[in-house]
Amino acid sequence: MTASGPLKVLRALAMPALLVLAWWAVSGSTFYLPSPAAVARAFAETWLSERLVDDVLPSAGRLLAGYALAGLLGVGLGVPIGLSRRLRATLEPVLEFFRAVPPPVLVPLIMLLAGIDTPMKVLVIVSGCVWPVLLNTVEGVRALDGVLADTCRMYGVRGVARLRRFVLPGAAPQIMAGLRQALSIGIILMVISEMFASSSGLGFTIVLFQRQFQIAEMWSGILLLGLLGLVLSLLFRRVERWVLAWYYGSGAARA
Amino acid sequence: MLEISELHKVYVSPGRRVEAIGSVTLSVGAGELVCVVGPSGCGKTTLLRCVAGLLPASGGEVRVNGVPVTGPPPRMAVVFQEYGRSLFPWMTVRQNVELPLKEKRVPAARRRELVAGSLESVGLSDAAGAHPWQLSGGMQQRVAIARAVAYEPEVLLMDEPFAAVDAQTRADLEDLILRLWRDSRITTLFVTHDIDEAVYLGQRVVVLSSSPTTVMEDLKIDLPAGRDQLTTRSLPRFGELRGHVYRQIQRARGHGADR
Ligand SMILES: Nc1ncnc2c1ncn2[C@@H]1O[C@H](COP(=O)(O)OP(=O)(O)O)[C@@H](O)[C@H]1O
Ligand SMILES: [Mg+2]
Repeated sequence: MTASGPLKVLRALAMPALLVLAWWAVSGSTFYLPSPAAVARAFAETWLSERLVDDVLPSAGRLLAGYALAGLLGVGLGVPIGLSRRLRATLEPVLEFFRAVPPPVLVPLIMLLAGIDTPMKVLVIVSGCVWPVLLNTVEGVRALDGVLADTCRMYGVRGVARLRRFVLPGAAPQIMAGLRQALSIGIILMVISEMFASSSGLGFTIVLFQRQFQIAEMWSGILLLGLLGLVLSLLFRRVERWVLAWYYGSGAARA
Repeated sequence: MLEISELHKVYVSPGRRVEAIGSVTLSVGAGELVCVVGPSGCGKTTLLRCVAGLLPASGGEVRVNGVPVTGPPPRMAVVFQEYGRSLFPWMTVRQNVELPLKEKRVPAARRRELVAGSLESVGLSDAAGAHPWQLSGGMQQRVAIARAVAYEPEVLLMDEPFAAVDAQTRADLEDLILRLWRDSRITTLFVTHDIDEAVYLGQRVVVLSSSPTTVMEDLKIDLPAGRDQLTTRSLPRFGELRGHVYRQIQRARGHGADR
């Protein structure tokens, strides 16, 4: 099963190459589907320019800011809720309700409250990303091992030490699962928040190209979004492997 | 040292009421090693958790050095049955042993000494940097024992610590416990369902009935102190004591089945 380095790379690239080929074959059949070469050219011209600084970086910055804020908020609220049965009983139905509200419908509301600038966009991202983190944290903390909890009590591990040495690491697999879900939601909301009312950003630019019938440019924007998502998820996987090394090592992940 | 008087425990959950412990009275003197033996489900774990202050009793009381137990006493350590779940998998063996000492604010130098000493005494010096899941079950339980010993407790509680390891490992671990106890004379309450183990380890064996649990017998084990798997277990007296406890347990079972 273990493939050597070059073979592995080949295998990973085979599918994308096949897709590009298929794209090539059908492209040109309609005006709306330019050839890979045209999109590649548009990509280089559009994004390797001041747009990188004017549109891509601000978008990515807002995404990271919103994501980080949602992560802190979700874990910060999830831990006490997970630890307290009473809090859970009171809050859980409400939380499930908020989670069920599709975040894009909050955009008009948040625009009223926070205007149309960066705070609004960050807030939209937070409002969508916080729920999976929060609910997964609650679940992870709630399901902490009882024997380990007893061990902490017997050996006087309490307060901050209990949080750092027991609660957070113990809930980390679930917290990371929540953060993973939040990442894809964050990317979606980053784009949507920029489509509503904006004069810069990836989402705005893609819509602008579409309105101006710059089809190859529009496709290149979609490609860029896909690549951004891919890079972020690869980065995330790295961090996860590092944070949860014990979890994957112990085989608990497969159980 | 450790006095359990008329301890009574009922588990109450909606629509269910389990009387786990009827009334248990027993005491363990300073430096004694007492084994509690009883059939499965007779409330041994419940008893131990009440003694440890992890579970509130429904009646009666537990005292350590005359002080009533209301929560985990500061100088008490427990070795749980579920060794796989009592070690923190995200910490190394060393960190697992060291954590309680940090919380006790033991100075770093002394901490290192205690960790190294206790790991050495359980024969795991080489595994200090490993994670618990990289070790066998017997080794994991030895880490839990090392952690308890390093904590320098006055009272050590053990709940069927070797129930889930193979026979050979179990014999080794029993001897390990005897050796550690002889060196440290920590007051020890050892709970097991294994009659041989109880007779082999204990200075006294307390036989519990099946639930609602009471003490059926408190038996002094008059075997020579220097115990050894081979010679001790082949002594005629060992056989007699074993047979005696066995009959008690059978009676306890029958007793339970009658109701
Ligand atoms: N948390 C609990 N809630 C209700 N009943 C329990 C609980 N824990 C144990 N019991 C019951 O109490 C009795 C004694 O259990 P336990 O102390 O675990 O016995 P042992 O350790 O001797 O096998 C059993 O009948 C068990 O079903
Ligand atoms: Mg038990």
